[in-house]
Amino acid sequence: MIALEPNAKSRPDFITVRVRRQDGPGKHPYWETHRVEYEPELNVISVLQRIAANATTADGKKVAPVAWDCGCLEEVCGSCTMQINGRVRQSCSALVDKLLDESGDEIVLEPMSKFPVLRDLLVDRQRLFRALTRVKAWVPVDSYYDMGAGERQLRSAQEQNYPLSQCMSCGCCVEACPQYTKIELPRLDQESDEAYERRKLEAYDEAFVGPHAISQAMLFNNHPTGKALASERVDALTGPGGIQACGNAQNCVSVCPKEIPLTTSIARAGRAATVQMIKKWFEK
Amino acid sequence: MSVSVTPETSFWLRHEFAIRRLHSLLGIVPLGLYMVIHLLTNASLLNGPETFQRSVYLIHSPGKLLPLIEWGFIFAPLIFHAVLGVWIARTGRSNASQYHYANNQRYSWQRWTGFIALVYLFFHILHLHGWFHAELYLELARQLGFATFRPYNAASTLVAAMQGYVWPAFYLVGVMACVYHLANGLWTAGITWGLWISPQAQERASKLCLVLGIGLAIVGASAWWAAVSPGEEEIEQWVEVENRMYDVATEAGLVTPNPEKRLESAEEEVPDEVEVRITVTD
Amino acid sequence: MAQHRVVVVGGGLAGLASTMKLAELGVDVDLISLTPVKRSHSVCAQGGINSCNDQTRQLGDSEWKHFDDTVYGGDFLNHQPPVKEMAFWAPKVIDLMDRLGVPFNRTGEGFIDRRRFGGTLYKRTAFAGATTGQQLLYALDEQVRRQQAEGRVKKYEFWDFLGPMVDEDGRCRGVVAQDMVSMEIRALPADAVVVATGGCGLIYGRSTMSVFCTGSAVSRCFQSGAKYANGEFIQVHPTAIPGSDKLRLMSESARGEGGRVWVPKKPHDVRAPQEIPDKERYYFLEERYPEYGNLVPRDIATREIFDVCVNDGLSVDENRMCVYLDLTHIPAAELDRKLGGILEIYEKFQGVDPRVEPMKIFPAVHYSMGGLWADYVKNADGGLLAGAPRNHMTNIEGLYAIGECDYHYHGANRLGANSLLSCIFTGIFTGSSILNYAQGQSKGHADVSSSLIESAVAAQTQRHDDLLTSHSGYDENPYLIHQELGDLMTRVATVVRRNDQLTEAIEKVNDLHERAMRVSLSDTGQWTNQNVIFAKSVQDMFPLAKTILKGALQRDECRGAHFKPEFQKQSLTSDDPQERRRQAEQWCDEFEANNRRYLKSTVAEWNAAESTPELTYEDVDTSSIPPRPRLYGLVGAEVIEEVWNERAKAAQEKEAVAASH
Ligand SMILES: Cc1cc2nc3c(=O)[nH]c(=O)nc-3n(C[C@H](O)[C@H](O)[C@H](O)COP(=O)(O)OP(=O)(O)OC[C@H]3O[C@@H](n4cnc5c(N)ncnc54)[C@H](O)[C@@H]3O)c2cc1C
Ligand code: HEM
Ligand code: HEM
Ligand code: SF4
Ligand code: F3S
Ligand code: FES
Repeated sequence: MIALEPNAKSRPDFITVRVRRQDGPGKHPYWETHRVEYEPELNVISVLQRIAANATTADGKKVAPVAWDCGCLEEVCGSCTMQINGRVRQSCSALVDKLLDESGDEIVLEPMSKFPVLRDLLVDRQRLFRALTRVKAWVPVDSYYDMGAGERQLRSAQEQNYPLSQCMSCGCCVEACPQYTKIELPRLDQESDEAYERRKLEAYDEAFVGPHAISQAMLFNNHPTGKALASERVDALTGPGGIQACGNAQNCVSVCPKEIPLTTSIARAGRAATVQMIKKWFEK
Repeated sequence: MSVSVTPETSFWLRHEFAIRRLHSLLGIVPLGLYMVIHLLTNASLLNGPETFQRSVYLIHSPGKLLPLIEWGFIFAPLIFHAVLGVWIARTGRSNASQYHYANNQRYSWQRWTGFIALVYLFFHILHLHGWFHAELYLELARQLGFATFRPYNAASTLVAAMQGYVWPAFYLVGVMACVYHLANGLWTAGITWGLWISPQAQERASKLCLVLGIGLAIVGASAWWAAVSPGEEEIEQWVEVENRMYDVATEAGLVTPNPEKRLESAEEEVPDEVEVRITVTD
Repeated sequence: MAQHRVVVVGGGLAGLASTMKLAELGVDVDLISLTPVKRSHSVCAQGGINSCNDQTRQLGDSEWKHFDDTVYGGDFLNHQPPVKEMAFWAPKVIDLMDRLGVPFNRTGEGFIDRRRFGGTLYKRTAFAGATTGQQLLYALDEQVRRQQAEGRVKKYEFWDFLGPMVDEDGRCRGVVAQDMVSMEIRALPADAVVVATGGCGLIYGRSTMSVFCTGSAVSRCFQSGAKYANGEFIQVHPTAIPGSDKLRLMSESARGEGGRVWVPKKPHDVRAPQEIPDKERYYFLEERYPEYGNLVPRDIATREIFDVCVNDGLSVDENRMCVYLDLTHIPAAELDRKLGGILEIYEKFQGVDPRVEPMKIFPAVHYSMGGLWADYVKNADGGLLAGAPRNHMTNIEGLYAIGECDYHYHGANRLGANSLLSCIFTGIFTGSSILNYAQGQSKGHADVSSSLIESAVAAQTQRHDDLLTSHSGYDENPYLIHQELGDLMTRVATVVRRNDQLTEAIEKVNDLHERAMRVSLSDTGQWTNQNVIFAKSVQDMFPLAKTILKGALQRDECRGAHFKPEFQKQSLTSDDPQERRRQAEQWCDEFEANNRRYLKSTVAEWNAAESTPELTYEDVDTSSIPPRPRLYGLVGAEVIEEVWNERAKAAQEKEAVAASH
């Protein structure tokens, strides 16, 4: 038979799930083993739901449920990113049967390593969104009043933009990128929320924006009105932490669950920067 | 409160982009270009010591300007590229053992070969060229077995320097690392500058760079083989050839006599009148 | 002019549209969401967004027809003035979204491409690939990020809205919310509060909705005195992929392209589906509806699948309800060309290739037509009066409800691709109303009394701390309670409803509710405690669950998604033309009588003392389009229609005469 037949494969009665836990920022991570009864068609989210409901480790110790993030459960919201068996991916589309095929009867869950851990598998991905502000990832319309239809756009433009527009800010790309490194600022004594927030944003703004943001910049630079900010976006991309930080490892494009052509965007950004650089020299 | 933050960025951060682009550019011209010519020159030894010596004469024809050219067009860019390269390599956290994708391996290897090139070039230049041409310094270096290459006895001194196993092995690794570094570097530079954009174009460019790399590896291997395969016998024969060429070349005014560029033993045979004529050509 | 501040709760399409518009109007906005707003449930919508457009107009379409289709589809339970306004705004909404950069699919010439959706004859639906909701949401998210960069908007993401802050005059003066990371509970004073927190599918355990759709925010408003309307109207989609964590939508186009629905004749046949010979398969839709076959409309398909599984016991899996949706007879190349995307979803999540093995599918809870009761002001044309402060204001002054969590637009049944529209429309349209309201108040966010703030925060802190403290005899697990509630609700209050089951279920839910109040948490810490957040949301599901059940029990009729076989209107039985005519007259009489009794919004108010909803019924504004029967699939429909049209004409004439006097 050609079709995948879950019943035909011998499966363990229980799956072992090793979770890398951490009680809070700055706390020491530790490993914990859980056992979950095997069922066909499980995904990592349902495994975590069972762990949450049981809240008991493999050796019978009562523990607090593992904290994690999820939303749509169909791989469009970007919430549920984590490292599963050493590879970053969305836990909602990580099917247990497939994982077991990869790795025997054990599943290893770890938080993303490029973002500060809030708790267990939950991380703070504010930097991902901040990067979108840095590249002005929006169309600068005049107003939200009715001004008639937008400019006509060729199908080819739509077909180029649509894939980029599917980026769900999950962070897989930056997690796998060797040039994107973690920024975790410990809070200073008596630092106010606002001062801390400010310090964090400053640090984020100098570090690598990440392939997802480069791609968004290219998306808006290819929009009839979005273009208005094209050179500002290129300026941002050639500023601190811009495209120059990319080392062309191209993991980003390999792990992106939405198969967004990130390396194409990076190269387009590279070209735009080259052109802008030359123009600036001769226009000044 | 407005969320926009304008941090006071350092000079480095403000110009990081331009500096990195310069790094990329220097990797290609002059460094990449130099390496291609250099390996071709060295490979010309396969055709016999005469060919090689002729090339070396050509290279050395600028005479006293040569150190200037060397430093301006080779050493300075090299040092800049190397220092920045080390810094760049340290900004990344290679994860090729976790993500086995081919391009990720290439990325890691770009860094490893960079480090190898650093070590290789440092010793290679010390070994043959000696880095500086101050008399006192040269004397010391030569006592330590460095600065062994004498351009006016090009083939023989080169081959002499490449006897044994240690240097040849060192060179083989170094040359291959440099070849990989340049071939792959060309490919990444094409993305960096926005030359090849689509995955298909990048795929094609990748093949092109592969062909180039293989070609260069062959040239490099030939150069290497030409330098390591001859033995004592050839050295002796070649010294004579070189000396003969030297006499003729100096006679014709093609070469600026410079004792430092010759073997001491050869130098002793130089007739005095030649030196007179040199002053004229100078 | 004083600087105004509004709290928007929820960052789905509705919440973001509202935030964007308010920021444009110069209002400061605090935006609260359980999740980073870009991850809100709206991203799940695939199909598209409706509007009458230049192309359909030339085929006879108009805004009015869009309005009519919506109301007819909703079985006339929709409030007509807001629906009319929405239909007339729809083209403007699409234009705006287009300008904001939504990558709508294009025609060869570069115009926005359209497709046809259920419930209409026109190609009204604009779409962006198979992720229209995501694309619309992102466009709004980007604008809000822009406003945030300019300092107009402050986001509170990973914050749980705990309740409105209502002062002694009954006016909403802000909200109390909790940081889900640090667990800090804080009051956010405001001139007005907008609730845009979406649906409540999680009351049913698993649905096609995101895990954020607990309905908790709405329930907290409800428990604070806001009215909740039409709770019993829950839309169930016929074809979803049953998963152990979620029921993912399987688009209707699978059947459109020739998919056949069947079950093995032998209950729970253990053989692989391909090995079951044709004669041992029960193609129940084809047998029961020879004319329409597998392409019967959504609600009928839903009911039949349910019937085969529950009443005939023919579900494919023994412990789970599902039937086969079979595409394996169609060549794989053709499938890839026409259905590629959706087949990939199935493959991705089930690990099974639907080109070689039939898909397992089952109806799933999909949308809640009901929501917070909210007011509106009608204008002279039968639409809404722009800028009127009461538009979309709940019965709590200063508290607004928009998006899926309002109740006006979709009546008893939502038309596909109308919800995204209603969300964006309500968000944008209410901007000026909210601003006008804020401007009309002498007191705003700056002068909320500290005693109000303190007591509101104290009440929530008390609830929180109480849950973390162990009490003797408290040993319930919130996850298991949720599971039980979901199973029960799915069994009795989805596709087919029966009074005996509903009555029984109400008892059980009362019981479960009491148990839910006695939970014992496995995490009692004060840092990122998801356990306590979940426990609260489970507890808050009960008031809504009870409202759904009670509303369903008391509504003895079939209307839209609400289906009670006992009260189904019968087909005409006689073959004799005269008798048939008489039956049709009678049918129409009954229809009118039924409408007089049940064409009303169910309006619930929470009685905290009794822990039960109190229901009243409110007339529906049907002033623009008088109700008419939906006759789909009924024997004798032509005669009934004839009779009905005569009556409608007579009524019109009478009205005209009355008007001329
Ligand atoms: C699978 C699927 C497909 C669909 N396809 C279509 C379609 O093709 N066309 C169409 O028109 N409609 C479709 N719909 C319906 C449509 O997607 C929804 O009705 C619409 O997106 C709801 O938007 P909203 O803004 O009201 O709420 P949501 O998008 O659900 O947003 C709710 C917001 O409220 C926040 N929130 C909730 N509770 C709290 C709380 N306690 N505290 C703080 N914040 C809270 C959430 O974080 C979120 O930001 C579909 C629905 C589903 C499930
Ligand atoms: C001496 C030690 C050297 C070190 C440490 C070094 C290091 C590096 C590193 C880390 C990169 C990657 C830069 C990036 O991805 O942004 C790089 C790129 C490159 N290097 Fe070197 N390198 C060295 C010598 C050389 C030499 C001798 C050459 C020429 C033959 C060379 C040619 C290149 C080229 C062409 C690139 C590609 C630039 C790009 O991708 O834009 N490098 N080098
Ligand atoms: C088998 C391989 C090689 C051989 C036989 C070889 C030989 C030589 C010789 C003979 C010199 C001395 C030249 C002089 O002093 O005039 C030299 C110098 C030098 N070589 Fe190589 N080389 C090899 C590979 C490489 C490679 C791969 C590089 C990388 C770029 C390199 C870079 C240099 C540099 C930078 C100098 C000093 C520059 C100069 O003044 O000429 N070499 N090499
Ligand atoms: S580009 Fe891909 S991997 Fe990166 S955030 Fe977007 S969707 Fe995720
Ligand atoms: S993985 Fe990182 S280094 Fe560049 S190509 Fe992708 S951003
Ligand atoms: S839960 Fe939305 S992407 Fe996984």
